[in-house]
Formats: sequence, structure tokens, C-alpha cells
Amino acid sequence: MKIESNDICEQYKDIRRKKVFFLIFLAVLLFGVALTALSQGASSMVFKDSVAAVFQDSGIAHAIIWELRLPRMIMAVLVGFGLALSGTVFQAILRNPLASPYTLGIASSAGFGAVTAIIFGGSFYSEYLIAGSAFFFALMSSFFILSIARLRGSTPQTMILAGIAIMFLFSSLSSFFQYMGTVEEVHEIVFWFFGSLSKVGWKEISVASVMILLPVPVILRWSWDFNLLAAGDESAKALGVNVTRIRMLGMVFASLITAAAISFAGVIGFVGLVAPHIARMVIGGDHWFLFPASALVGAVLVLAADTLGRTLWAPQVIPIGIVTAFIGVPFFFYLLMKKMKEYW
Amino acid sequence: MKKHFTIICAAAFLLCLLVSGESASRKASGGENISIKDTAGRSVEISLPVKRLVVLTSDALEIIRALKAEDLVVGVYSDISRDPQFWPELKDKSRVGNWKGLNYELVAELNPDVVLCYTQRPGRNMESKLEPFGIKVIRLDFFRPGKLEKEVAVLGRILKKEKEAMDLIAWYRNNIELIQKGLKNISNQPHIYIEGDSRYHTAGPGSGGNEICVLAGGHNIACNLSIPYPEITPEWILTNNPDFIVKTTTKTTCGTSYSMADALPLKRIRDSVMNRPAWENIRAVKKNKVFVMSNEIWTGPRAIIGAGYMAKWFYPHAFKDFDPKKLHKEYLERFQGIKYRGVYVYPEGDGQ
Repeated sequence: MKIESNDICEQYKDIRRKKVFFLIFLAVLLFGVALTALSQGASSMVFKDSVAAVFQDSGIAHAIIWELRLPRMIMAVLVGFGLALSGTVFQAILRNPLASPYTLGIASSAGFGAVTAIIFGGSFYSEYLIAGSAFFFALMSSFFILSIARLRGSTPQTMILAGIAIMFLFSSLSSFFQYMGTVEEVHEIVFWFFGSLSKVGWKEISVASVMILLPVPVILRWSWDFNLLAAGDESAKALGVNVTRIRMLGMVFASLITAAAISFAGVIGFVGLVAPHIARMVIGGDHWFLFPASALVGAVLVLAADTLGRTLWAPQVIPIGIVTAFIGVPFFFYLLMKKMKEYW
Repeated sequence: MKKHFTIICAAAFLLCLLVSGESASRKASGGENISIKDTAGRSVEISLPVKRLVVLTSDALEIIRALKAEDLVVGVYSDISRDPQFWPELKDKSRVGNWKGLNYELVAELNPDVVLCYTQRPGRNMESKLEPFGIKVIRLDFFRPGKLEKEVAVLGRILKKEKEAMDLIAWYRNNIELIQKGLKNISNQPHIYIEGDSRYHTAGPGSGGNEICVLAGGHNIACNLSIPYPEITPEWILTNNPDFIVKTTTKTTCGTSYSMADALPLKRIRDSVMNRPAWENIRAVKKNKVFVMSNEIWTGPRAIIGAGYMAKWFYPHAFKDFDPKKLHKEYLERFQGIKYRGVYVYPEGDGQ
């Protein structure tokens, strides 16, 4: 009996070790992609010059690294991190593999917010107005879903259904404004929907990092509760989890993170669906590991997509929303085929 | 019951015959039939005279007014409501749709001889939908400087306004020659970065913006890229270090530049361009050579005015006697029959 218990302990430690190893692997991978991102660009700087420019305190090379490449790189990591984390939260609290910023209508409502600012912004038009409007509508739609869920009783299905309805509503509203728009407005709307990290600077990063990183400690603290929630609402309640509270606050935090990411980078909500699944396929559903793994996968995915997008066809940029899907979908399919058995 | 039904059917059939007969006879009554080639490259048979027009683009409408044929317009694009001061006599015409699509039922009811629209939009099924009503579709862009003269001539022919068309073409050609003359002895072309409303989206080859930049004697740094409206990285702009930055915009206080009273919105846009991260290293920013231009004189029939401003910015000495504002005033008063007003560029001078 003692021997069996030791075996289980060893097995558990082994699994844990593998998970830790995967996290380390992802961190190293992210570091590698970040170094590549930092050293690649339109200027003629080679890797050595780029690294040297980090430590210079003036000149064009310094400006390129500190004002353009670093903010872009950090924002890509932040956005990927945030979208993946919020996707994991949505999937956990709604116990649904389809939950994501897209399917909950948050991405579409953020898009609609951007469209509204583009069409009606007039002389107040600015990037901040677009981001602010996107953020406002994203939050509004998530509060709307929450209040609907409250009215009908907080079941995951209600929220998903309400989210899909919101998604269609805001997509149609955006299409309507696009239909009404001038040539220039339609161009701008299309470009915004493609997503872009070209516009970010330190100012945007400071705002986005507060919005994305602030809820992270709370979410991580709930990892065990999310694990219990996977067994069903009743079991979780029996084990002392305040299901309604965790679901409501989880939605609020995840919406806040999603809205921040989308408003600064455009609609790349796909990461929020795929990154959690990729992480889950590799290390399973324990949220202690799933949250950091998913966030790291998201960060690697967005940073790699952005770096490829701006270097593959340089100096033209392939929009990040497109590249993310190009590299994320085949990889996702590969893992899906490999792990055909039920992993969810 | 059956008898009543037969009578109703017969009456409806007769009515249809009468309506279609009236429409057909009206369309056939012109006499002269001509075949024209539009910008989409299609040959279109038209019976002259054309008496009723539906116009889906502001560019075409501006040329129609320049040819003094606005009386023929029976339907206009819906966005005309955004610019009532520019279109005092046309703003109340039936609004039938926009450059992307139209209400076929409304157009059929207006019974025009011709619908004017862009080459690419609305889609090609528009022709087949309007054909049963005897309505012809003519696709003319009027936003490419290189094709404008030919398009004006085609429209002049259709509307039997050849003299007015020749006047406009002569004025246009005259001013192009004036710009070309000013550029004759220029050896060093300045490098230009052009940007539309969206940040870091430039005008590549095949775009109207590139054509205008070339017309103004500038070297567009994006002229060798692969697509007309690409997104590029700020780093690439910094590396190319342009001498001038021209930001074009549709963002104004009152809907359009024509109704704008002060330059504050354009100034605000210029300030935000000049304060972008790391852009203090760009030559154009260092030397204050960042200009904002309203889209109204950037592409479209008034592109020659935009090109005139650019030529003057790029080569102030060669164009010191050339006054684009005067040119604009002349165009609006002589060809459009409206008073000059509004704000179109910032800064007006050479940026210093």
C-alpha cells in the first residue's frame, strides 16, 4: 500500500515537473522570439547593432529600438498575454470550450465602438478616441451579458447564447455603418479590423499594462476555484466556492483585459480562443499551470505573428489579425489531430 | 370570382404594356445612338440626348456641375446630406444610394437614362439589374489625374456638353502645364511620405495619391511597394527619412472642408503627426515640413489643386508666383458656380 502511494506521489511529481518544464520552455521560446523581434526591422541594423543600440542613449538606432521596436514588442506580449488569459477565464467560468472574446460578442462590440468613433469622431477624431470607444462598447456588452445572465439565473449557456446574439448585433451594426461610410471611412474601418501594433507607444503601453495586468493576481488566486468549477456548479458550491461571485467578477476582469487588448491592437480575438486550447492540450486543465501557460502561448503567438507580419513582406505590413490566424490555425489543427481524444 | 380575376389580370397586363411602352418610346425618341467606352473598358450604347441622370459619386456630380448639366440630375448619392453648402441646388434631389450600392426600386422609379458610378463599385450585377428598365450604367472614376481629361470628354459627349467639357479640360491642362513648367529645371526630387486617415497607411503604386505626388514633382517613398494602400512600419519611414510628410484627411469639424471655418482640426492632426514617437529624427519633422491636406483637394476632380499646393511646398522658389488658393477659388466660382470658402490645408505657407 505504501509503495503504491509513493508511486502516485512520484507520478504526480513527474507530471508537475513536465508542466514546469513546459512553462520554462515557453518562457525561453518567448525570450527567443522577443530577441528576434527586437533585432528585425526595416532599418539596416544587424543583430549586434540592435543589441548595442539598446544601451546607447541617443541617435536614430536608439530611437528605433526604444521608441519603435521595444514598445511594439511589449505591446504584442501584453496583448497576447491578456487575450489568452481572458480566453482561459471565459472558458473556465462558462465551462465551455467555445467561450472567447469573439463568441461572447466582446470583440464585435469593441469593433463597433471603433467604427462609431471613426464615423462620428469628426474633429475629435484620434487614436485614443477610437481605443476609448472600443473599450467602452466592449465593457458595455459584457455588462449586458452579465445582467441578462442575472435575470435568467447565471447559467453558462445563457451567457454564451447572449454573447452570440450580441456578436451578431454588433457585427450587423458595424456593417451598417460601413455600408453608410465614405470610401475613406470604409478603408479605415477595414484597416482597424485587421489589427495593428504600429500605432503603439509607451503612453499606450502604460494604459494597457494597468488594465491588463492589474486583474492578473486576483485571477491567479482563483485558480483552485476554477479547477473546482470544472466539476460543475453544484460540486464547486459544495466545496465552498461562491460560484455566482466568481463567475460575475471573472467576467468583469476578463472583459476588462479583452477590451484593453482589442482597443489598442484591433480585433485579434482569435488568440483568446486558441491559446488556452493549445496550452490545455499540452499540460491539461489545472489552472495553476494553465493560466501562465496559456498566457505565454498567447504572448508567443502574437509576438511571432507581429514579427512575421512586419518582416515577411517588408516594408509592407501584413496585418497581425491575418498572420495570427495563419500561424495559429494550422498549429491548432495539428494539436487537435494529434490529441483527438477528449482533452476538454 | 374567376371572371373578376381574369379582368384584373388583363387590366394589369395592359397597364404593364402601357408603362413599358411609354418608357421605351421615351428612351427611343432621342434619335442619335452613340457608343462610348467607359473607364471600366466596356463599350456602352447610349441614345442621345441623355435627359435624366442618377449620380452615385460626388466626383462625377462635381464634373456634371462643371459641365453645367446639373439640371439633368434626378437622383444623387445619399451622403450629399453631409455637404449641403457645397451642393445648394442638388442637396434636395432624391437620394438613391452610394458608391457601394443603390436602391434599384427607387432608381427604376426615377427612370433615368444613365446611372454614373465608379469603375469598381457597385458590383457588376448592377448593369444586369438595370438593363430591363432600359437604364444604362456608365463607369467613370474622375479621381485619377491621368484619366480625368478622357473621362470629362466622354461625359461631355454623352451630355452634349462638348464645349463645356473642352473648357474644363483646357483649364485643367493649362494648370498641369503650369506645374510641369515649374518643375522643368528641377534636378533633386524631395522624398515624400504620404499618409491617409489611418496611421501608417500610405499611398503605393496604383493609388491616386501616388499619381498626384508624381504630378507635383515629389518622389513618393512608397512608389515601389507592391500594393496601392499598404500599411508600413514607422521604422521604415524613419529609415527612409522623408523631406516632406503630407497627411491627407477627411476629418473636419462640420462634415466637410468647404464648411469649415478655422484650421484647428487640421492643426491638431499636424501636431499629432509631428509628436509621434521617434519622429523628431525625421528630416520633415525637424524642418517643419509636415503638411495636412483635406481629402477634398487630394483625389477627385480637384486633385490638380492638391498637386498645386504640393508643388509649391516642395519647390517654393520655382512656384513663388503660383497661388493654389487662387486656382481653387477660380475653379469653384467658374466651374462650380459657388463661392470659395473653407479650409483645405495646414499650414498654408511653407511650414516655417
